[in-house]
Amino acid sequence: MQTQDNTMTEQSRETNDMKSEKATDPAIESGLKRLTPERIQKTINQVLEKETGPRFKAYVETCMRCGMCADACSFFLSNDRDPYFMPAAKVKNTIWEMLAKKGNVSKDFLRQAVRISHLECNVCKRCAMYCPFGIDIAYMMLLVRRICHKLEITPQYIQDTVNSHSVTLNQMWVKDDEWIDTLQWQEEDARDEFENLEIPLDKVGADIMYSVIAPEPKFQAGLIYQAATMMHAAGIDWTMPSTPGWDNSNMAMYTGDNEISGRIARAFFETAAKLRVKRIVMGECGHAFRSVYDIGNRWNSWVMPPFEVVHALAFYHELLTEGRITIKEKYKKKVTLHDPCNVSRGRGLHDKARQVVNMVCEDFVDMVPNREHNYCCGAGGGVINCGPPYKNERMVNNRNKAEQLAATGAEVLIAPCHNCHSGLEDIIHHYDLKMEIKFLGDLIYETMEKKIYTPGK
Amino acid sequence: MEEKTSWDWHTDLKEIPVKEWENRFNWVQAPQVSKDGERIAAIVNLDEMVFNVCVNGDVWDDKYEKAWCLAPFADNGFAAFVAKDEEWTMNVNGVQWSNWFDFIWDMKISPNGDFLGAAFQTDSEYGVIVNDVPWEDRYENLTGAVMAPNGTSAAVVQMESMAAADVDAFKKGIFSVARNGEAQAARFLNAWNISFDAGAQNIACTVRLDREAYSIVQNDTIWDNRFESAWKPQFLDEKTLVAPVRINGKWKLYKNNAPFWANAYDQLWHLSVSPAGEDIAAIVSTPYGRWTVAVNDRVWQHSWDTMVSDIHFSQDGACLAAVYKHKGAWDLAVNQTPWQMRADKVFVPSISPDGSVVAVVVEKNSTRQLVVNNRVMASGFSFMADPVISPDGSQVMIKAIENGVYKRQIISV
Ligand code: SF4
Ligand code: SF4
Ligand code: SF4
Repeated sequence: MQTQDNTMTEQSRETNDMKSEKATDPAIESGLKRLTPERIQKTINQVLEKETGPRFKAYVETCMRCGMCADACSFFLSNDRDPYFMPAAKVKNTIWEMLAKKGNVSKDFLRQAVRISHLECNVCKRCAMYCPFGIDIAYMMLLVRRICHKLEITPQYIQDTVNSHSVTLNQMWVKDDEWIDTLQWQEEDARDEFENLEIPLDKVGADIMYSVIAPEPKFQAGLIYQAATMMHAAGIDWTMPSTPGWDNSNMAMYTGDNEISGRIARAFFETAAKLRVKRIVMGECGHAFRSVYDIGNRWNSWVMPPFEVVHALAFYHELLTEGRITIKEKYKKKVTLHDPCNVSRGRGLHDKARQVVNMVCEDFVDMVPNREHNYCCGAGGGVINCGPPYKNERMVNNRNKAEQLAATGAEVLIAPCHNCHSGLEDIIHHYDLKMEIKFLGDLIYETMEKKIYTPGK
Repeated sequence: MEEKTSWDWHTDLKEIPVKEWENRFNWVQAPQVSKDGERIAAIVNLDEMVFNVCVNGDVWDDKYEKAWCLAPFADNGFAAFVAKDEEWTMNVNGVQWSNWFDFIWDMKISPNGDFLGAAFQTDSEYGVIVNDVPWEDRYENLTGAVMAPNGTSAAVVQMESMAAADVDAFKKGIFSVARNGEAQAARFLNAWNISFDAGAQNIACTVRLDREAYSIVQNDTIWDNRFESAWKPQFLDEKTLVAPVRINGKWKLYKNNAPFWANAYDQLWHLSVSPAGEDIAAIVSTPYGRWTVAVNDRVWQHSWDTMVSDIHFSQDGACLAAVYKHKGAWDLAVNQTPWQMRADKVFVPSISPDGSVVAVVVEKNSTRQLVVNNRVMASGFSFMADPVISPDGSQVMIKAIENGVYKRQIISV
């Protein structure tokens, strides 16, 4: 068995030791310029008074600054335990100050608040598990992001994804025709493997609506190909919508644009309703899975999602355990698994994930900590979506994750979430980890038998 | 022109074998049935990258590299998007349009089938085409195309190109509404949900004016009020426009820029006006998390825990049916009475003109059945298109496939 040296190189350690320059963001700066003290105060007070409830009050009144949440946070651990990065400090330096000053805060303070809430907290909710009172710092940071949204000082790149959602209902400005064209192109390519493979568009009454996030048609169309191959081989009655509403992501959830978030959630579920499907299966995206249970729904008055939404991990589990997909030969390389916060900690799919990995791979090693205790990728809570200007900082803030990955000695890292995947890929390159990164779907596609399921056989 | 009275309501059963299509063609996509039930069609594959449309066993003359979006229109017509030499057009009953594009999608069919339209893109320029006449003006991008019964078309269009992640350009407002290809002067951050009045003389939509201010634009005039959000407006007549708007976290119905319904709801969408214009119905949520229907601001006595997906009036407005989901199962309620079928899927109901007969296809345990006035009238089908009720309301047409045979069956109710 081939082994690899996955320890971090000295060089990368040095890079990491350097505190990167703080990036500037034109959207934040021009937004700050437009603000008046009156608008700042009015907006903050309006959000804190009208958009929060007992939960917020309880959190603010209960935190006793004990610091037990500190070691939960990757940002704190990656920055030599700098108290500035403690979860409770993030609240102290944002919301508490806003409350104490009744919204009368300066532009410099706001610049810092954008940074803390958008770039130095990945809303991963790990700290909430270690707080004796279960205080959810991520919720507080999302409130700060909501204030930033209303003050129009959201970082440029993530704002652009929300602008895209607002126009196209997908996060990557994928035009309506580009979406359909991509599906047809993937369908055509996949016919090399299954002659009569079809990606059925708008098939009313299919059992399953398959949905993906916009980066798939934009950059990773092969994932649609793989999913289509699995659906076809497993004999699933499925469809994909040709209309907006196909993208299950919701970046507005991360910028506090609840109104657009609700609009996106409505389009998504009403697309499923129009197609008369029984349930929705989604690709391996963590934040999109979170959004299904998040603000957009509740803004619309849906307490729970109106359709069952099955994350790819759970769906793979179903296909493999029902024998609809069989593995020809297990994957040989040593693999480890990153538990995405929004899939494991958020929605408890960690055991199913391990069962799938063990059904598909021969040599699996867990990283430590794991399951719901896993460290976050430092990217997917909206941090990576703030774009290239912040990449260096993100790498510094991810040293802890790099060390965790390196310690596994694995050759392949499985990341069943697009944002984790991109964030972890950056970490692997930056820290020179000599690891390949894959989606779970990549491995299933690689190892599955390319034959059509026949019931009873 | 769809003319139900001229359809055959006398022959009990007509059958068309479709199983044999599987032997004739490499594969057959999901079938579509004509409105009058006389014809069944499917996109079929004849060879590698050779597609066509098969109607009652006969294939259209031309062969295509690709085909999609097969849809029935008028009495027994079919239209589909088709591609040859990497260019797309619409084929209507086997006859290609003369205009070809880099892509064509979002098919529009007027209620009587006289107008067919679509969105198109050529050389990265976007427009709408109706009955083979494309818009003269083309745009950077186009979304949410609509077509009125008289063939008038409109869409939200992007007026300028925008560099990647240029949030300042976006903030200035680069979207407008184009009607028959001609863009209106006003620019918006966003525009959505275009509506026409009955004669397509007037146009309205929801708009976002800045990051937080939503409103309604009626022709060239923006309502004075600003809202937290707004959904699709609906004309009651040429001069009267209603729209759901969000104020202080609750939804209200506004009429011509002023409060109309007294109640505020946790959600209020899918306005539906009875054909005579007397009643306005909407899907509403009240209290929070419960879903029901409001008619003229009065809510139905039942509410459900998951969603109401669509509502449908009879022609005379006397009957209103709502498709809803409750405790994990789909169902139908007619004039406030839940049928309690607890189905896996409930399709679009058909209602007789006088509202006395409601017929709907439902799916339970992977088979489809026809339910008429809450009685199962036929079951065990693998495929069943939405039923049609005869103009006098005495008969229902079943369009279904059983054991590889398409059946057009007339039953009395
Ligand atoms: S939510 Fe995650 S990133 Fe944010 S403070 Fe808590 S542990 Fe740190
Ligand atoms: S662990 Fe809880 S109580 Fe202690 S500082 Fe952190 S948030 Fe506050
Ligand atoms: S991208 Fe993945 S690990 Fe990172 S925050 Fe999302 S779910 Fe968590």
